[in-house]
Amino acid sequence: MLSPGKSVSSRLLRPALWLPFRLCPERTAVSLMQKELIKKRELEKDELRPLYMDFQATTPMDPRVLDAMLPYQVNYYGNPHSRTHAYGWESETAMETARKQVASLIGADPREIIFTSGATESNNMAIKGVARFYQAKKRHVITTQTEHKCVLDSCRILEAEGFNVTYLPVQKNGLLDLKLLEATIRPETSLVSVMTINNEIGVKQPVKEIGQICRSKGVFLHTDAAQAVGKIPISVSDWKVDLMSISGHKIYGPKGVGALYVRRRPRVRLEPLQNGGGQERGLRSGTVPTPLAVGLGAACSVAQEEMEYDHQRVSMLANRLVQKIMTEIPDVVMNGDPEQRYPGCINLSFAYVEGESLLMALKDVALSSGSACTSASLEPSYVLRAIGADEDLAHSSIRFGIGRFTTEEEVDYTAEKCIQQVHRLREMSPLWEMVQEGIDLKSIKWTQH
Amino acid sequence: ACDQNRAMAAAAAARSSMGLTLRLSRVIPDCRSCPLYRFKGCLDNTAGSQRRGSFDNLRTINRHLQTSICLYQAEEGSSNAEDPDDVVNVVYIDRSGKRIPVKAKVGDNILYLAHKHGIDLEGACEASLACSTCHVYVNSAHFDKLPEPEEREDDMLDMAPMLQENSRLGCQIILTPDLDGIELTLPKVTRNFYVDGHVPKPH
Repeated sequence: MLSPGKSVSSRLLRPALWLPFRLCPERTAVSLMQKELIKKRELEKDELRPLYMDFQATTPMDPRVLDAMLPYQVNYYGNPHSRTHAYGWESETAMETARKQVASLIGADPREIIFTSGATESNNMAIKGVARFYQAKKRHVITTQTEHKCVLDSCRILEAEGFNVTYLPVQKNGLLDLKLLEATIRPETSLVSVMTINNEIGVKQPVKEIGQICRSKGVFLHTDAAQAVGKIPISVSDWKVDLMSISGHKIYGPKGVGALYVRRRPRVRLEPLQNGGGQERGLRSGTVPTPLAVGLGAACSVAQEEMEYDHQRVSMLANRLVQKIMTEIPDVVMNGDPEQRYPGCINLSFAYVEGESLLMALKDVALSSGSACTSASLEPSYVLRAIGADEDLAHSSIRFGIGRFTTEEEVDYTAEKCIQQVHRLREMSPLWEMVQEGIDLKSIKWTQH
Repeated sequence: ACDQNRAMAAAAAARSSMGLTLRLSRVIPDCRSCPLYRFKGCLDNTAGSQRRGSFDNLRTINRHLQTSICLYQAEEGSSNAEDPDDVVNVVYIDRSGKRIPVKAKVGDNILYLAHKHGIDLEGACEASLACSTCHVYVNSAHFDKLPEPEEREDDMLDMAPMLQENSRLGCQIILTPDLDGIELTLPKVTRNFYVDGHVPKPH
């Protein structure tokens, strides 16, 4: 294997080079070739990458966050739970600093923050953990129909375990009806879960009022704040929130890390999903990934500084986009309440145009219809169905996401391209022709061939 | 020295004049104040031997005498409670499900009571609120009678595996008269779980 007589360095390098090929020659060779081809094509044709307008799906990492993380990848690489040496101590210090940064963004105590692998894990922990811990006397959970899939799936699993789950409908503007919530809470309700800002339509729920209701009835409130943290001011004590999920990669932080806020006074108990050595208050055992935690902390502290400026800028850009599009094109519907929303998430339905075809027409802008987690399925978004959008309108909806790094030129370009393509697609659309002629589409009886 | 001799003579005289009953009974020393006892320098001070041994035969003969004399003070945590008002009945349910009823006194600490009776409730930090190994489940009838846990106890309880709504740390439960009949179940595992069946000895 190793050729004798060669220098030490080449002997060490050679196995690393040929080993992957030996393991799987065909697959590795082909994918390497493909990558080379793509790179060549990009360089030759000077192809540009699409504009990124999908900030609800994920966000690029802020360079300041990357700067904070790098030393902990290669230099300060100790395990933060090692008690006996300096590598462990310095990692633990970094982890605790990050915890403090996350806590100060949401107005919590650092001891109330648990690092997880993301908002999905936090949601699972919160919902399944609380429900299972209190299941001796309380077997009812309330949530809404517009929650993220991880919340809805966790609730479905609880139903399979024998819990009662109520999925509350939302009003046409996407907001929860508080009277309905109050009427649904029973003595055996252990948890209410309502997300702060919806990832598809950008609607902001009245979490403060919901917290008031839940506290008065002695029910825990969990909110999935993945899209809200760092974008709007949050105070868990003002809002009377007992559990809150935080996601790293939605606030210009690293992917693969998140946090769960678990209130200590009055104490919320969870049955842990991940058992082990009792790290993170026994609720989430496992080594805390120091670089990722540091990144999350840095992202939170940057967000705290930039929140006001970002909010103003994003509002301005969002207004610009919406005004441009809605004045030029008729029959465009904005899904969700126009006032109670986060401006950076705009969901527009273009009537008589198919959403997928518009997305493909806007191929140099990265957009999405529905949310990233359901983009593979062919069904229209359940969130749009929950707010009562027509089936046709639900199919023709596009979500525009504006973030910290969006420029005015990007917004202008997107708006113009969108207007252009919608006109073009409508020219081709038979439904549009019929509407122009004055036919009421609802009166048509469609027959099968 | 002269006074002492005179006192002893007087005592001897008093004793001899009291008849058979006192001669058969014995004054059992109050060990609580003795420094030898407190720093474990007294040979009588091994767990359980304090009141066994030679006193037992006397006890069986003169049971009615012993109960009326009451010359010794029970030390803290003693299981030989004599005054019925002070007795608190505690039931431990150990890991195998066996019920172990124990007679305790008001003011007893649950952890040390368990150690005294050989129940393997592990107390790794010796009641200093630094671990969760003395975690017990309290039966619902008595759970509400316990005072609210302080924040440090709650913090340590968070770390205990298999936590339930009726979980408390045993080292923080001090017996009061209204906790009579309390039932404490040991959880199946502690944070120092030993899968090989090893049972750590109490400190």
